[in-house]
Amino acid sequence: MSIEIRNISKTFESFQALQGVSLEVKSGELMALLGPSGSGKTTLLRIIAGLEFPDPGSGEVVFHGEDVTGQGAQQRQVGFVFQHYALFRHLTVFENIAFGLRVRPRNRRPTEAKIIEKVTELLRLIQLEGLAGRYPSQLSGGQRQRVALARSLAVEPRVLLLDEPFGALDAKVRKELRRWLRRLHDEIHVTSLFVTHDQDEALEVADRVVVMNHGRIEQVGTPKEVYDQPANPFVYDFLGNVNLFRGRLNSGRVQIGSANFQAPDHPETLDAPALAFVRPHDIKLSRQASSEASMSATIVQLSALGPYVRVELRQEDGELLEVQLTQEEERQFLPRPGETVFVELRNLRVFASDYSI
Amino acid sequence: MIFRLKQRSVLPGFKLTLGYSLLYLSLVVLIPLSAVFLKSATNGWQHFWEAATAPRVLASYKLTFGMSLLAALVNSAFGLVVAWVLVRYHFPGKRIVDALVDLPFALPTAVAGISLAAVYSSHGWIGQILERVGIKVAFTPLGVWVALTFIGLPFVVRTVQPVIEDLNTDLEEAAASLGASRWQILWRVIFPILRPALQTGFALAFARALGEYGSVVFISGNMPMRTEISSLLIITKLEQYDYAGATAIAVVMLLVSFALLFLINWNQARSHRFL
Amino acid sequence: MSSLQTASETKIRPVPRHPSAEPRWLRWLLIGGALSFLALFLFVPLVAVFVNAFHKGWEAYWQAFLTPSTQSAICLTLLTAVIAVPLNLVFGVMAAWAIAKFDFRGKNLLLTLIDLPFSVSPVIAGLMFVLLFGRQGWFGAWLDEQEIKIIFAVPGIVLASVFVTFPFVARELIPLMQSQGRDEEEAATVLGASGWKTFWRVTLPNIKWGLVYGVILCNARAMGEFGAVSVVSGHISGLTNTMPLQIEILYNEYNFVAAFAVASLLAMLALVTLGIKTLVESQHASALRHKHPVQRPTS
Repeated sequence: MSIEIRNISKTFESFQALQGVSLEVKSGELMALLGPSGSGKTTLLRIIAGLEFPDPGSGEVVFHGEDVTGQGAQQRQVGFVFQHYALFRHLTVFENIAFGLRVRPRNRRPTEAKIIEKVTELLRLIQLEGLAGRYPSQLSGGQRQRVALARSLAVEPRVLLLDEPFGALDAKVRKELRRWLRRLHDEIHVTSLFVTHDQDEALEVADRVVVMNHGRIEQVGTPKEVYDQPANPFVYDFLGNVNLFRGRLNSGRVQIGSANFQAPDHPETLDAPALAFVRPHDIKLSRQASSEASMSATIVQLSALGPYVRVELRQEDGELLEVQLTQEEERQFLPRPGETVFVELRNLRVFASDYSI
Repeated sequence: MIFRLKQRSVLPGFKLTLGYSLLYLSLVVLIPLSAVFLKSATNGWQHFWEAATAPRVLASYKLTFGMSLLAALVNSAFGLVVAWVLVRYHFPGKRIVDALVDLPFALPTAVAGISLAAVYSSHGWIGQILERVGIKVAFTPLGVWVALTFIGLPFVVRTVQPVIEDLNTDLEEAAASLGASRWQILWRVIFPILRPALQTGFALAFARALGEYGSVVFISGNMPMRTEISSLLIITKLEQYDYAGATAIAVVMLLVSFALLFLINWNQARSHRFL
Repeated sequence: MSSLQTASETKIRPVPRHPSAEPRWLRWLLIGGALSFLALFLFVPLVAVFVNAFHKGWEAYWQAFLTPSTQSAICLTLLTAVIAVPLNLVFGVMAAWAIAKFDFRGKNLLLTLIDLPFSVSPVIAGLMFVLLFGRQGWFGAWLDEQEIKIIFAVPGIVLASVFVTFPFVARELIPLMQSQGRDEEEAATVLGASGWKTFWRVTLPNIKWGLVYGVILCNARAMGEFGAVSVVSGHISGLTNTMPLQIEILYNEYNFVAAFAVASLLAMLALVTLGIKTLVESQHASALRHKHPVQRPTS
């Protein structure tokens, strides 16, 4: 079941949450909507679910060729998993999962035996077979999340929508659960869309990632594409730590301070301001200047972060620079605070600076 | 000693404040209250039973319990609607209406009594309209019901309202996305969540109505066997210096009140099960 | 036909309803139902108090307050409140401190006992004191010997009022102080403040709005109590009549304007009470969540 979103806008009073958004989710795909808070990702998800409605006349939501814009949530047959689960606290786990089957019109309602069969199957899928009789208040956060998921799967949804599915869990459970979600999706293959503000989560779990900002889509692509080939400074900045340099772009080269780099993506730009980005792990330190390592900087501070060591340096112009070394690199180089070293920037990405972030 | 500190505390004043509280509680509440039970015990079971089940007394129970039940039921239905409207909808004057719901808590019962009597009497604003369609309110059991409805009005609203305020629209959205219609959502999701509060509000309104005196005596007409409530009968007996008779009725009313109190606490504790 | 076409061309569809909203007709039906119910049982009787009081003009209204019996009723009502409110205020603060700041066995029992007067009919409250202090009561003979009069005198009225207003301040303060925990008091104690200073400088500023609300509720009830006071008063005009009892007497004498004039004073008091309550709640919305004797389940 594919989802197609065509030119959707949504305004809340004076705030424009979505501005002409179009998107296609392929059948069977697991897609992440990634962006900072206020970027419109949850609004988009709720519009797809039929919990919010686009501005009148602004566009349409299409499920597998069928225009569902005029349908409410009741008719759309989507599975929606809420950030805080929204489990019915007066119902047991079993009855929560069975809810969607029990509220069907009589002619489409399954028999009691079928309901028991279906719920039991789902309980097995979420690995909570023994807890059918518990109330939501007696479950842990991770268990509640899985019950919420099973409840939405019980109605055999055409698409599955998850709003910050792991947002309310602690770090360890979150990691376990997102791998479990990935495996689950590989098993059941329902077209799924989840909202997150955590780039690791999006990159690890999703087939494709939609990066959103200010009610617009900035880039759509596989995790590798958006990470390695960010379409613009915002995407680059949002997906992980970066170092930012300001320079000037001229016929395929960029001048940053006294250093000069190749900028093969911009062969025709003539003398324009530019922004250049480098990931902290793409910087190499050396004690000798060379044609690659021509910028000098002073080490300010070292901090150990598990398997990595973060080195903070101050450039000649006073700007700070962050470098990430593996422990092995650190042992070989032995950087010391106060020492002046040369930095080599690799995988520099240059954008003509009509962009702002 | 029943009351003992479980854990040492750095804060001072435990013995002083608890001691004072218990002393004051005993003097003002416990000793006077036990006087009623002791008094009825000294009169003997036989006498108690006769006094508590005389025909005039039984008629007063029937009226008091019947009308209290009816008033609490009507208050449950309308209290639910009022609470819902106050939380979920917007309309002009909502804040004032919200504040005025507590009026029966703040307005002295005697004031309510003479005012209801004036409004619902056969010359009153509402009474004369009802009289035209053949309904007499003042000096009938219906009048008792009107007063008891007035007095119990805030209870259901004020117990249910905070629960509706806490209701997350998430739940309704979740139910809708699972295919439930609005009626199914109201019946299967919202009502079960409100039910414990509704029951508590009902029981509170009912308990309050059982003991009510001031707002009723002006509108009811106080005719023995017909519109005489139990509270009034206690006063009547006292005025005739029939202390034993008054006490017997009081004991029956107190036992019912305590049973209700117990029921309310039990219901609240039970509803915590899935909270 | 043509309008239908343009509608489909510009693709304007009816926007479906949000799942947490009722249809418009039902919404207005519910609002209408709620307001009619409130009008019949609350608004009309409230307005009727003032209309009946001023029904024969200002002059007649004013005359009602010039009779000595009414004036002494007003004085006795004020006296009752002046005694009952501080007594229950001190108790409320003490009980709330013990319950909110300490963990002890029997706490739930104490909480239930504090609520007890709420479930005792006012008439029975009066009866209790008659059984204790009345001429035929336990202490009746002894009191007679000492020539102390409690029943059918002012002390009985005060006692009955104290009983019926007993839980109000405590009931307001206990949930409030429980929700505030004891961190701040412990911090103050660790910093070397005495218990009295801690209460005065740390606790009191935090609970002052709850205290104000508890006191005005207690006061409204003390001034307006009818059933309990009626039993113990003896209705001696000019001596043991409070305002509510005076209203009854005037009403039964068919002196409606005077009855409603006195009633209008108490109704005004009630409105002021509700006004202060609304003010206090908006001032301190979060601290006064528990605005009703029923404790709200927290989820």
